[in-house]
Amino acid sequence: MLFSRRLMLGLAMASAFVFPAMAQGPTEIDLFFPVPVDGKLARDMGTLIKEFNEGHPDIKATAVYTGSYDDTLIKTRASIKAGKPPAAVIMSANFLLDMQIENELTNLDSLIAADGSTKDKFLGQFFPALQGNAVIDRSVYGVPFHNSTPLLYINADKAKEAGLDPSKPPQTWAELTDWAKKLTKREGDKVTQWGIAIPCAYDYCGWMMETLTMTNGGRYYNEEFGGEVYYDTPSMLGALTWWSDLVSKHKVHPPGATPGPAVSTSFISGNAAMMMLSTGSLTYVRENAKFNYKVAFIPRNVRNAVPIGGASLIIPAGVEADKQKAAWTLIKWMTSPEKSAWWSRATGYFAPNMAAYKTPDMVDFLNKNPDAKTAVEQLDVAKPWFATYKTVPVRKNLEDEVMLVLNGKKQAKEALVAAQKAADETLKPYNAETSLKLP
Amino acid sequence: MSLAEPAALPVAAVVSPRSHIVARFSARLKASLPAYLLLLPSLIFLALFTYGAMGRVLIDALYQRATPKAPLRFVGLDNIAAVLADPAFTGAVVNNLIYAVGTAVPSIGLALLFALALARTNAVTSALRAALFLPVLIPMVAASALFLFIFLPNVGLLDYYIGRLLPVVPNWLGDPDIALYAIMIITIWKNAGYYMLFFLAGLQAVPGDVMEAAHLDGAGPYQRLRYIILPELKPTFLFVIVIATLNAVTQVDHVFVMTKGGPSNATNLVLFYIYQQAVEHYDIGMASAATLLTLAALMALTALSFRTMANREGGA
Repeated sequence: MLFSRRLMLGLAMASAFVFPAMAQGPTEIDLFFPVPVDGKLARDMGTLIKEFNEGHPDIKATAVYTGSYDDTLIKTRASIKAGKPPAAVIMSANFLLDMQIENELTNLDSLIAADGSTKDKFLGQFFPALQGNAVIDRSVYGVPFHNSTPLLYINADKAKEAGLDPSKPPQTWAELTDWAKKLTKREGDKVTQWGIAIPCAYDYCGWMMETLTMTNGGRYYNEEFGGEVYYDTPSMLGALTWWSDLVSKHKVHPPGATPGPAVSTSFISGNAAMMMLSTGSLTYVRENAKFNYKVAFIPRNVRNAVPIGGASLIIPAGVEADKQKAAWTLIKWMTSPEKSAWWSRATGYFAPNMAAYKTPDMVDFLNKNPDAKTAVEQLDVAKPWFATYKTVPVRKNLEDEVMLVLNGKKQAKEALVAAQKAADETLKPYNAETSLKLP
Repeated sequence: MSLAEPAALPVAAVVSPRSHIVARFSARLKASLPAYLLLLPSLIFLALFTYGAMGRVLIDALYQRATPKAPLRFVGLDNIAAVLADPAFTGAVVNNLIYAVGTAVPSIGLALLFALALARTNAVTSALRAALFLPVLIPMVAASALFLFIFLPNVGLLDYYIGRLLPVVPNWLGDPDIALYAIMIITIWKNAGYYMLFFLAGLQAVPGDVMEAAHLDGAGPYQRLRYIILPELKPTFLFVIVIATLNAVTQVDHVFVMTKGGPSNATNLVLFYIYQQAVEHYDIGMASAATLLTLAALMALTALSFRTMANREGGA
């Protein structure tokens, strides 16, 4: 009895998979979403999807929480392999190239064309800095959803205490070094307050290296081609040397590799007077800092420039046509100005859709929280996030060496030569198939 | 092979060996058929979720792509050779050995100490036992998240207290020379209470009359420990050592949460290396090859320990 009932149920479910057209009712789609910041976002996502379903009776979207950015990539890949991919995924923006190389993404050009729009018109809604991570080989593969840039956070109270004017934050590396020295407090050899802290754990470390290299005039990787990184270059050497000087020469930065949460906790507790961290932490700092703080652009040595971070919406390869269409409706709705603005206020990420900043609620919000404006203004000088073939291992090739330098176990030059060599090795199979495949 | 086994067996095998073997085989099968039927449900699930997966790993380990868009092709043992040649893998093996010895020895030592101290049951020892067992109840992931903040440089609980004594406070998880030991401390803290349970059980089995006799003969506490309690606990030791070693290979939750194998691969353990190959490098061939090597090592270890245990049982 039990068996036969289960069997019937199983058959019914199986037929629902095999003959989706026969099933009456809304198109059911799944959205995989990570929560990179904190648990509250999961609730916000539930609210967002509920609103979408109420406004779209022909689609039933389900938001599936899939852990961190990395976990989301694992789960998406597993479901693609199992032949049942989710209709849409919020994916870390620098995983897109790697997925495209592995044929795991749906090209969105035809969906854009089906709307009677053009690629330029569609991408034109978003800040130009975000387009580099969404377009691969001149085709659109992702739609920017929530994004960030690194910022300089300053404890304004401590700055005043040290005789510095927080309304004129440091703009160059020289000024920042000077500020950090004045903000470091010592008791004998022991530091009781650090001038500045910059995070270095896997993922964050690579992003900060890209930030420092860019403000030093350099590039981390070849934006046009996924087979090259520029680790052993003067601009990156300068960046890493300055960072390690802050640690071991000026002794104004905590030694060793410190992960992001440790840096923000340090800043909130007053143990570090300045920090470089993502705009994604702005809401956390706003809610927890018991002192006046100030945010500023990342100071430059050669030029002002920062990489973007954050995530894009994608449609995995192998999604059926009707689900693709439903997912596309969802994606367009989620990235519309109103929803984009709402999500930005809920999370602290900035809204990728430029029109979001013209909505009345957002204008209000920015007037009340001028610090959120700094992040948006910095977008003018922002550039894409590094993305190569095997982004994560290639990034790790650099990070492992940077960690050695910050721990005083290696010289910057020697470390970067080793990182370059390791990365070239990781990139070799891709180059063998592209740049070094000769007629 | 025990020396006590009778030496008369070969004589019976002389007459018509083939029919004899078949008859013996079918008779044996008939006798053990109910046993196999009873085992069938678990065998099915083991086949589906354990042996099936292992078989798949075995196949995956033999294939590799030359370039990203190239098709998978059979490469034989190349993946295994590549894993063995990868300095990250050998580094992970060395880390894992240090980790295994460095966690098993102290946690077993502490567990024995706790068990000896709390062997008698009364209100105080029960409360203390519960307190020592508490870390076992906390999931590893939650414990790691807690320790992440305990280990925070300068502001964490540890530095708050120790920082007053040391001239320079170390960056516990950020210094490649220290990070592995910081990770080991959590494992010891978490496992000592668990192993204590086994030793408490083992101590119950120490015969009371022997202890009493020793007491009457004037054996001091040390002599009783050395010549009665420790020998009686030998099977417990063996069991706990096996469990501790397996834990050292299979429990890497805290590495995931706290260090991701860093800084500079200093806390990279074998299981985490496999995860990195599968997920970060997206190289299923390498990940499967590393899995096979690990499985082989674990199976050898288990077989060895079971044999040692069986020998002991037989000898007793």
